[in-house]
Amino acid sequence: MVGTHTWRVRTLRLYLPLAFFLLLTLFPFYWMLVTSLKPNEELYNLRNNPLLVYHPTLAHYVGVLLQTNFLRWTVNTLLVAVVTSVLSLVLGAMAAYPLARTRFPGAALVAVGIAATYLVPQTLLFIPMADIINALGLSNSLLSLVVTYPTFLIPFCAWLLMGYFKSIPRELEEAARIDGASRFQAMVRVVLPLAVPGLLSAFIFAFTLSQNEFLYALIFLTKSEIRTVPVGAIAELIRGDVFFWGQLMAAAVLGSVPVAVIYSFFVEYYVAGLTAGAVKG
Amino acid sequence: MANRPEPSQRVSRRDFLRRLAVAAGGLSMVPILQACSGYGPGATSAGGATPPPAAPTSASAAAPTAVPTTARIVPGAGQTPAAGGKQLTLLIESAFVKEFDDYFTSTLAPAYQKETGVVVNYDPVSVGSLQTKVTAAIETKSGPDLGVLEFNWAFLYDDALVDVSDIGENLGKQYGGWYDAAREACVVNGKWKAIPIGNIGECHVYRKDWFDEVGATTFPETWDELLEVGAKLKEKGHPLGLTMGHGFGDNHSWEYPLLWSFGAHEVDETARKVTLDSPETEKAVEFVKTLFQKAQLPDVLGWTDPSNNKAFFGEQISDTVNASSILTVAKRDFPNIAPNIGIALNPKGPTGQRYHMTNPWSIGIFNFSPNVEEAKKFLAWLNEQPHFQPWIDASQGYYVAYLHAYDDDPIWKQEPRLGPYKEQVASAHLPGWPAAPGRAASESLAKYVIVDMFAKAAQGQPTKSVISDAAAQIKQIYNIS
Amino acid sequence: MAVRSRPYVAAGVRLGQPGWVGRLFEHEAVFSWAMLAPAVLFLLAFVAYPFCYGLYISMTDLATGRAAHFVGLRNFIANTQDPAFWQVTRNTFIYTGGATVLKLLGGLLLALVMNQQFRAKNAVRAAFLLPWIVPTVLSAIAWMWIFDPTFSVINWVLVHLGLVARGPAWLGDGNLAMVAVIIANVWRGIPFYAITLLAALQTIPADLYEAAAIDGASPSQRFVHVTIPFLKPVLAIVTMFSVIWTFSDFQLVYVLTGGGPANATNLFATYAFNLAMGAGQLGQGASIALSMFPPLLLVILALTLYLRRSD
Repeated sequence: MVGTHTWRVRTLRLYLPLAFFLLLTLFPFYWMLVTSLKPNEELYNLRNNPLLVYHPTLAHYVGVLLQTNFLRWTVNTLLVAVVTSVLSLVLGAMAAYPLARTRFPGAALVAVGIAATYLVPQTLLFIPMADIINALGLSNSLLSLVVTYPTFLIPFCAWLLMGYFKSIPRELEEAARIDGASRFQAMVRVVLPLAVPGLLSAFIFAFTLSQNEFLYALIFLTKSEIRTVPVGAIAELIRGDVFFWGQLMAAAVLGSVPVAVIYSFFVEYYVAGLTAGAVKG
Repeated sequence: MANRPEPSQRVSRRDFLRRLAVAAGGLSMVPILQACSGYGPGATSAGGATPPPAAPTSASAAAPTAVPTTARIVPGAGQTPAAGGKQLTLLIESAFVKEFDDYFTSTLAPAYQKETGVVVNYDPVSVGSLQTKVTAAIETKSGPDLGVLEFNWAFLYDDALVDVSDIGENLGKQYGGWYDAAREACVVNGKWKAIPIGNIGECHVYRKDWFDEVGATTFPETWDELLEVGAKLKEKGHPLGLTMGHGFGDNHSWEYPLLWSFGAHEVDETARKVTLDSPETEKAVEFVKTLFQKAQLPDVLGWTDPSNNKAFFGEQISDTVNASSILTVAKRDFPNIAPNIGIALNPKGPTGQRYHMTNPWSIGIFNFSPNVEEAKKFLAWLNEQPHFQPWIDASQGYYVAYLHAYDDDPIWKQEPRLGPYKEQVASAHLPGWPAAPGRAASESLAKYVIVDMFAKAAQGQPTKSVISDAAAQIKQIYNIS
Repeated sequence: MAVRSRPYVAAGVRLGQPGWVGRLFEHEAVFSWAMLAPAVLFLLAFVAYPFCYGLYISMTDLATGRAAHFVGLRNFIANTQDPAFWQVTRNTFIYTGGATVLKLLGGLLLALVMNQQFRAKNAVRAAFLLPWIVPTVLSAIAWMWIFDPTFSVINWVLVHLGLVARGPAWLGDGNLAMVAVIIANVWRGIPFYAITLLAALQTIPADLYEAAAIDGASPSQRFVHVTIPFLKPVLAIVTMFSVIWTFSDFQLVYVLTGGGPANATNLFATYAFNLAMGAGQLGQGASIALSMFPPLLLVILALTLYLRRSD
């Protein structure tokens, strides 16, 4: 009796909602996958079941990979994403710790100021940003992105990590400091390890924000070889009013699945061990 | 509780992460090296010979992928300039027909380089991104030397464009004179600010077979006839699909001409009087309302530019207004539909006139460019017939040349159905007509004043109020008190 | 026990008296500013100029390629007299409000569900991240098809299940279009809530729950008194970002509807962009973009106060 009860409870609390969310989340993605495998005639054929592919073809993938600079775009995108995310994570964590923990003159102002950098939208900022980039001589190089992306990644990392740091009990650092650890040591040896899930999620979101950014990359990068995936895909797979739908969807799939795979790899190794009682007092 | 990873496993993962960090750090040096090596616009490396290892002139510094150069969607990397040679950059929209881009990069640019030693770089962007890049270039006073301009951008960006009247007038004299629409689009206050390359025509693209079925063996001559035919078609399940949403061109290119053919305009030719609020406009709005209810697919209200192509290929609509892209793509991908496609001019209105919208594709030179003289030489060279004609022809009728010398271009014989795209140039005007095109006209377009006026009426709002709302907006836009 | 409560010892922290530099950095204010300095300096260097530039041009009549003339608040006043501006304001608030509520509830629920143990947990988690990972421009293009009245797979399913005779015109009807963009935004945004909240949930020590259970608390009481307080900081911050991003959303709406039909889905960012790029009215566009500033600033201020007070 106990067995069936827990199975039913589990279904209700776990499997059913999980299935529901999975369906909602993956359904458009499934559509993208299916469209990337459909030949054009099938795509436009209204009599077909849109959820199925009758004559799957890899032509769109081949087209994207061989006829455009997709692979180069991917390398560019990943490079920029990794560098900017790491940079922003480090600077963001350094900023988040005092904002979460210490009291000092100007704290609230700095916190608000950091977030306020978000309030001027990119659609307005990109012109003066372009000015700066030109003045630095960085236009048409990936460095222009490395320098501008942290402007929206650092505030994000700082505030997000501030939230995670705040939910770690103070007593731990206090205990460490009583034992003679410096503030810096307390931050690095006590708080950071406990905040790893937070660091990881900040990283992955910073990474994806960087990866998906469009406007700055459009303005600063010109040559096809130096472009990132969103800009390159739009520039070369949309011509006039003709959208190369199959290839666009192939680019979407190719652009996202590897990141998801890498993410799941990291998640498995770094978060799995955390629920163990490292915080027991 | 989750299993704690074994200590030995944890160490190895930390190891892995360390290695990854080192790799990332190493890779991150690459863009820095790239930047330091002067990879950027205006960088002139010495000679086209083997570039120094830390400064690749074309590939990204990551291991270059071997990409075959046949049948590429976008042309290849930038060429290395000759020793001490100049570079020009042309900002351009990705051509709908890739052969057009290819012809430039594989034939024209190398030929020009051979003749003059100047490298012309081709920087294609999607049509939607073009204006953003042009704006950024103008405001930061850097970037491309030449740029493609559309609509009335020669007026909009007039202050940042170089006077190319000498080139414009010479071309007119040499090649049979310009169509009026070309002058209308590119001559600002008496000066040529851009050289018109071609018109992206928008005509009715319709299903001849379905029109025949309801007895319309030729395309309707007047809007009223189109309404009749459309109503019959809708009953048969083949409604019309004239775009009414927030796109770039497929909406404006029939709505403005319709307005004009009813005798209605936004402003008068002095641009100091709003004439939108008039009985002619009322008739036009009433007509569009009726057309929507009786003959159109309801979805058209939400359509952006690719939507009508989709609907046409899905065999959902019998008629739409579009560029020649539908025909070209149909011939390539939908061989069963292609033979049934017909193309026709906009119908006439109660005034007895038919109109079309000019959609000029022109090239201008930015005055912040350090290479203005070189750019002018190139622009003149580009428009010489032996260079220009095969290039324009490579677009398969998508761009229609504005010079009368090309009226008998063989391409019109190859596909006679494309004829209307050429004919329409004679009766084409820019939005804002009869006033001179300018910033106000652009603002009216950007705010979708006319488009929303028709859309709201179609949605059921009273005719008088949608017109007065639109007129109030026009008044504010044109700064008329 | 001793090792557990002092993990820094196990990690080899060097204890003992620091030198004078070390003592200096022990000072709360010095330490704080030293940590903050790199980030603050970077932001000042790169954002201050564009920010001030944006502020400045919103008070000029700058048009692309022309010289700017100071006009004070004229642009802002003109906005208040523009009916389209008020519609855009309404749209943006509805869009942000609707999407945020759905994302918050959905994300929280999903995080709670995922916090349990089950096989293939990490693959599932990565799958849930996918909507966020796909580049927005490309997923927006996918949604163009999913909402296309003719080709919509949603409509196909609805029609084939017999629920409707004809699929709704998602992007053709003003109200439905708003629903459609909200759906697309929620789809893309739930992972942000779910994954960040999940990480927060995983930081909650299990023995807190055990202690509460021993004290006789029911599951819902445990949720309210243990889970929610722990989640509050992260939840508040995640919501703040989500609100800021949704309020200033651009790509999704621009690609999907262009702001139509008849301005039904036009937001501040899309309206400002069209005006600035399409009509070359950079000054006017800037003034519209900056109209987003006051409400968002209020959100940030409220949150900062809340977080500092709950210390």
